[in-house]
Amino acid sequence: MKNRLKVLRAERDWSQQDLGERLGVSRQSVNAIEKGRYDPSLPLAFSISEVFGLPIEEIFSRD
Amino acid sequence: MTKAATQTTGVLGRGPFFWGALTLLSTALIVGLGVSEAIEGKGVLIMLMLIPITAFIAMMRSAYRLAGTTEPGCIAKGAAQQRYVKRVAICTSLYLLSFAATQFAGNELDPPRAVIFALAVLTGLAVSGVFWAMGRLIIEETDEFIRVLTIRQALIASGLALSSASIWGFLEAEDLVMHIDAYWFAMIWFFGLMIGAAVNRVEHGTWGAL
Repeated sequence: MKNRLKVLRAERDWSQQDLGERLGVSRQSVNAIEKGRYDPSLPLAFSISEVFGLPIEEIFSRD
Repeated sequence: MTKAATQTTGVLGRGPFFWGALTLLSTALIVGLGVSEAIEGKGVLIMLMLIPITAFIAMMRSAYRLAGTTEPGCIAKGAAQQRYVKRVAICTSLYLLSFAATQFAGNELDPPRAVIFALAVLTGLAVSGVFWAMGRLIIEETDEFIRVLTIRQALIASGLALSSASIWGFLEAEDLVMHIDAYWFAMIWFFGLMIGAAVNRVEHGTWGAL
């Protein structure tokens, strides 16, 4: 899966640590998701969607 | 200096990986000396084992300190991992005490076999406690990515330990290798956790759990 996490985070001037704290996950998790090394579960994808105020499909897309 | 900055200095300025590597290397060296019969007698080997045991304690202390920080790094942190480190430290301490008691009682006191049996079981249970701690970590870890990494670590460790036991067992049955006590395969499992962490680092960019 591809995602726009890094761009969305940069637009808000958030570090990976900042986003991790908002999501309740580690900085390593944010980094792994951003780099496409790990696809988040549906609950975490919904949390990401809520944090950015965007629908999931505007954040994640198929390769 | 802040509390967090103080905590990240680990033990004697070294982090858990340094102490882990020292634990591994010193254990390997002592095992090598024992297997090659360069050192004879359990007493000397047990005394030498104080070196990796001390390094292991330092590793757990530095890991606990690291787990309590919030600074960015390559190791995942959290309450579940702090509890894990604490549990492993307790189990390890219990192991050291019961192992020392078993050796002392066996060599010096000549107690009834039931006492030796109970002490040996206690030592084994203390080691089993580390497996339980790993299971609790997998259950209690709320960060799903770190949980995946922890499970991968445990699977790699289990595969390595069980494969080693299987291969060695058949070789031993054919009198092709010497006999080794079965608890060494638990030690291989612990070594496998380090391999698992290294695999996580290569494949996912982070070591994962402590």
